[in-house]
Amino acid sequence: MIEWSEQHQAIFSAFRRFVQQEIAPLRDELEHGTLPPYDVLRKMFATFGLKELAEMRFAKALEQDAAADRPASDSEQDDGVGGDMVAMQMIPIIELSRVSPGMVTALGVSAGLTAGTILSRGTRAQKERWGRELLTLDRIGAWAITEPGSGSDAFGAMTSTARRDGDEYLLNGNKTFITNGPYADTIVFICKLDEGNDPKVRKVLSFVLDRGMPGLTQSKPLRKMGLHASPTGELFLEDVRVGRERLLGETEEISYRTGAKDTFKTERTGVVAMALGIVEECLELCVNYAKTRVQFGKPIGEFQLIQLKIAKMEVARMNIQNLAFRLIELARKGKKMSLAEASACKLYCAGAASEVALEAVQLFGGNGYMAEYRVEQLARDAKVLQIYGGTDEIQVSQIARSLLE
Amino acid sequence: MKILVALKRVADPANHNKVKIPASGDRIDTAGLEWQINPFDLYALETALRLTENGKNPKKREGEVVVLTIGPKETETNLRSALATGADRAIRIEAVDEELDGRLVAHALAKIVEEEKPDVVMMGKQVVDSETNMVGQVLAELLDWPMATFAATIQEQPDGLLVEREVDGGVAKVKVTLPAVVTVDLRIVSPTSVRSKHTEAGFKYPYEEVRFAPLPAIMQAKKKPLAIKNLSELTPDLKSTTRYVKYEAPPGRKAGIKVKDVQELVQKLATEAKVI
Repeated sequence: MIEWSEQHQAIFSAFRRFVQQEIAPLRDELEHGTLPPYDVLRKMFATFGLKELAEMRFAKALEQDAAADRPASDSEQDDGVGGDMVAMQMIPIIELSRVSPGMVTALGVSAGLTAGTILSRGTRAQKERWGRELLTLDRIGAWAITEPGSGSDAFGAMTSTARRDGDEYLLNGNKTFITNGPYADTIVFICKLDEGNDPKVRKVLSFVLDRGMPGLTQSKPLRKMGLHASPTGELFLEDVRVGRERLLGETEEISYRTGAKDTFKTERTGVVAMALGIVEECLELCVNYAKTRVQFGKPIGEFQLIQLKIAKMEVARMNIQNLAFRLIELARKGKKMSLAEASACKLYCAGAASEVALEAVQLFGGNGYMAEYRVEQLARDAKVLQIYGGTDEIQVSQIARSLLE
Repeated sequence: MKILVALKRVADPANHNKVKIPASGDRIDTAGLEWQINPFDLYALETALRLTENGKNPKKREGEVVVLTIGPKETETNLRSALATGADRAIRIEAVDEELDGRLVAHALAKIVEEEKPDVVMMGKQVVDSETNMVGQVLAELLDWPMATFAATIQEQPDGLLVEREVDGGVAKVKVTLPAVVTVDLRIVSPTSVRSKHTEAGFKYPYEEVRFAPLPAIMQAKKKPLAIKNLSELTPDLKSTTRYVKYEAPPGRKAGIKVKDVQELVQKLATEAKVI
């Protein structure tokens, strides 16, 4: 793949129009956290028939389950369809990220991460109970792993616990930085099974919780540096009593780590599309500004220091776009990136997006520091790409480990 | 009801600053322009879709919408976007943009109408590139069909269409029997402007523009039929009779002046601007 197809272009322009008409006018409210992103996301789903696609995806996942025992996450093994699916998922992310990267995160965590976890690891009953409505955005999902004392070392330092109590479990723990936490209807809660043994060797289990369960508290949105369109919160669990039907997979004998790797890969490739949207928007804004902003009697685009910034942004845009094409092409062939390659992609794209957006602020000068010109928002939003879904430092170590082992 | 919608591609009006005229002034340099369907023609497409559905279920078609354009192969992109939006099939008449004028386009359309026999031919009231407005009227004359131009509302009735047109000082109601030619104005896409015989009483469209194409429809647009005709075969003996003498960019806006007092203002208005 060397360029977007005519069909892709049609999807781009449809989403661009939607974002301009429906989301751009809400930017201030989303930025100030007074408007949760979910209603406008639902409107987007309804407008583009994404809800029906989600229903189809759900039906297909169940069908495959019945047909074979291979996991649902390997469903992209057919001729070219996988590539189209990846492109169709990327294009809305790219367009949304130009105006509101936070909205992508809120959507991705709910319909991607949370739904994906339940669909790939849940029993059929669990998929039917929670999966469909998460995919269609009828319910908002959150995926809770991070804790105040455990970030990059998610499993090692995890203190959230499940204790057996007859046929049931009692869940306890605090989770933080949970995307959609304040508003989630369905929560995947990841914790360790406490059998009185050494925490290092405890099994990792996931439970599905519903809003309003006794003992579960969802905090208000936390204040943060950027990504304001994505509500982030804390969760507090005090003796939340659950039956086995809420234990994902309904078995304690399920290795969490294998499933988690697939999750990380998907998260990391999503960052490619977000970075592309942010960089494309910064570049477009900067080129227009460089042509029209006049200082010392000429447009600032005629100064070489400004030209250098724009040229570097274009190099980043080309690189990220080529990585996006590679992801689509791999999916077309039914292949996937290795974890190390996905990490390398994420590391590069997150860093490039951050750098481009900060340079955009610089290019705009005083105006760039003002909210009105939008680049400062993109710079604050881009920074998170270097932190969530595995920090830059974690990506580096994963890439290096794969080379040195 | 079968409706033929004529679409013209125009340079994106939002990017008008990209339009360049070479020093010779003999043409407009179209390199690098982004093309889209003339907005008024998109309203015609939306109108045709509303006339061939019941509103509540756009997937259930109550008639046929055929979209047509005249131009080079690249215009198929625009046709496919119209197909994704909901049209049932498309026709492209192969031609070179520079060799066309309104009269020739109307003659070519008349030939297609003979083959397709639609109940209504619909298009925008004008194009936003050259700001011309003649194809609909010439076509109605060639076909000897009734016409209603600048439609702001359309109501389907058992014996034709009741069309309201906004005119100076009020609304003119025109009743046309079918087949007919209709050109549409901006307000035709208001929530209740178009009522087909299938539209349920009280139904309102939740948007005031051309509808978005759903993602699956964009993916399937390629599978919808797109026929290609040749202008030279449709109108072998005709050529454009319009001659463009010269293109010129409008003069750039000059900086204004400041006046000291009202007296000077009045004096300049009288002697320089000559408006009083």
